[in-house]
Amino acid sequence: MFLAWQEIKYSKTRFALIIGVVILISYLVFFLMGLAYGLAQENRMSIDKWDADGIVLAEESNLNINMSMFSKDQIETIDAYEKASLGVTSSVVQPQEKTDEESKINVTFFGIDKEEFIYPGVIEGEGFSEENEVIADISLRDEQGINIGDELSLAGMDLTIKIVGFTDNAKFSVGPVLYTDHPTYQRIRASGFGEREDEIISAIAVRSDSGEISDITLSDNELNLYSTGEFISNLPGYTAQVLTFGLMIGFLVLIAAMIIGIFIYVLTLQKSSMLGVMKAQGISSKYIAKSVVGQTFLLSFIGVFTGLVLTLATGLILPAAVPYQNNLLFLVSITTLLIVVAVAGAFFSVRTVVKIDPLEAID
Amino acid sequence: MKLIELKDVKKTFKDGRKTIEALKSTNFSVEEGEFVAIIGPSGSGKSTFLTIIGGLQTPTEGKVFIKNDKFSELEEKDRATKRFNEIGFILQASNLIPFLTVKDQLRLVNKVEKSKIDDDKVEKLLSELGIDNLMDKYPSDLSGGEKQRAAIARALYHDPAVILADEPTASLDTDRAFEVVEILARETKKKKKATIMVTHDERLTEYCDSVYTMRDGVLTKNQ
Ligand SMILES: Nc1ncnc2c1ncn2[C@@H]1O[C@H](COP(=O)(O)OP(=O)(O)OP(=O)(O)O)[C@@H](O)[C@H]1O
Ligand SMILES: [Mg+2]
Repeated sequence: MFLAWQEIKYSKTRFALIIGVVILISYLVFFLMGLAYGLAQENRMSIDKWDADGIVLAEESNLNINMSMFSKDQIETIDAYEKASLGVTSSVVQPQEKTDEESKINVTFFGIDKEEFIYPGVIEGEGFSEENEVIADISLRDEQGINIGDELSLAGMDLTIKIVGFTDNAKFSVGPVLYTDHPTYQRIRASGFGEREDEIISAIAVRSDSGEISDITLSDNELNLYSTGEFISNLPGYTAQVLTFGLMIGFLVLIAAMIIGIFIYVLTLQKSSMLGVMKAQGISSKYIAKSVVGQTFLLSFIGVFTGLVLTLATGLILPAAVPYQNNLLFLVSITTLLIVVAVAGAFFSVRTVVKIDPLEAID
Repeated sequence: MKLIELKDVKKTFKDGRKTIEALKSTNFSVEEGEFVAIIGPSGSGKSTFLTIIGGLQTPTEGKVFIKNDKFSELEEKDRATKRFNEIGFILQASNLIPFLTVKDQLRLVNKVEKSKIDDDKVEKLLSELGIDNLMDKYPSDLSGGEKQRAAIARALYHDPAVILADEPTASLDTDRAFEVVEILARETKKKKKATIMVTHDERLTEYCDSVYTMRDGVLTKNQ
């Protein structure tokens, strides 16, 4: 480390440039990761909020909750520790007094039973108690400026709903969720399938005693049980999105490793006659190689941590509409990964160090 | 005591089909406190001779002894360790590490062997060589003569038995060259080293105890 650090201190500009490149790449990696995570969360967080072990959908729905439809009475055919009925439908709402295109909002209605576990914790205002009252995701307030007591009209329907409370972490398909009671949900959905005698729902979220879905039994073969994980990875576009971001981040990490590896390699080649002199002095290849690897560690450590700090700072000043979100586990693992692959890149140069012949130092 | 001893040492290089005899069979020794000069034309084998003694390459035949140890028979790694402990190389100018100050060039030795730097020893050595005021300077800020003195300091710092200098005055003007050789001679006597200096300049040999001439791989003692 002595040699590594003295050299960095001596050639400040050169190493500042290398660190600068590491900062930019790690900033990009961290930021992409925050976006990927945030976006994935906006697809799934309302589902994670249920804290359910599994979900029951109609057999023919092919795991697509929007295509799943069955009678609320069928809940009796399921034997589980806890059950919660859920009607899902997407819709467009607009603040009452407004008519412009801009103010239209894509939302998803969750029709739920107040006594069942999907019912969200209210962080502002109060729960719904009458028909046409809804609890909305807090983003409606933060991004659209909608407040408690505001009324929203539904596109294409002669129906207005009233915001009575807000909850957090309630996004589905990257849009806010509006929770309402089953009768209101039926009316909203009726515009799609007409009036029906029985209540129609989309899904039943279930919890088991043990956390294992194998403990849950269904007696109705029109219905199917899926684990929450399987359901989430089959959300439209979800897996493709996660894979796309994952691949981009993976490649960036590799590119970072290669860039640092190449920088260090070129520096080592430039220094080879000096390293030859050191070997002629009797300084072992091991000592020299250690200092090359140590130097890479220093550079990547400084660069990656600065990139991390910059990312966190950027996260603080981003507008609420950007789906950026931090996750401690991911931050820690990407930080470690970046440093580890950078150091691995330096092992390129170790071979060169070992091969340098001290005889080159003479003449 | 003989600090350096060569017995029937020979070095040949294969160059395609012909073999070059860079060093013909040689017997040679240097006592402690002895300062030896090697002169001879370019390509005669001086550097080959010196690097074989320093263990940077192994002889084709024969043996090299340093302090009576069979140096040339050691494994590569052990030879490096022995070189680190017993041999100080002084090469042409600009073989100092550019990003270390004069003091740090010496400190590197401590770092390698994981010991603490001895400030008194550094001070004493550098003032003997007249460069104690340049302790915190980088090589790029030193003159050619000062650089060579720093290189001598580095070679002496670890208190090796043997000093090997390959044209240490090549980049210096005559006055500086004489100064540097005088310092080498003085340190050799005072610290009882065995020193071999390769040079082109015969005038510099006046400080040496014995002078050898290398010609076509054959080493002969003058007079
Ligand atoms: N690795 C090698 N492979 C082949 N031939 C070599 C090698 N090293 C040295 N030689 C040859 O051995 C001979 C002696 O070389 P050496 O470098 O010892 O000369 P020198 O006396 O130091 O010359 P100079 O005064 O120019 O430094 C030369 O003919 C050289 O070409
Ligand atoms: Mg030579």
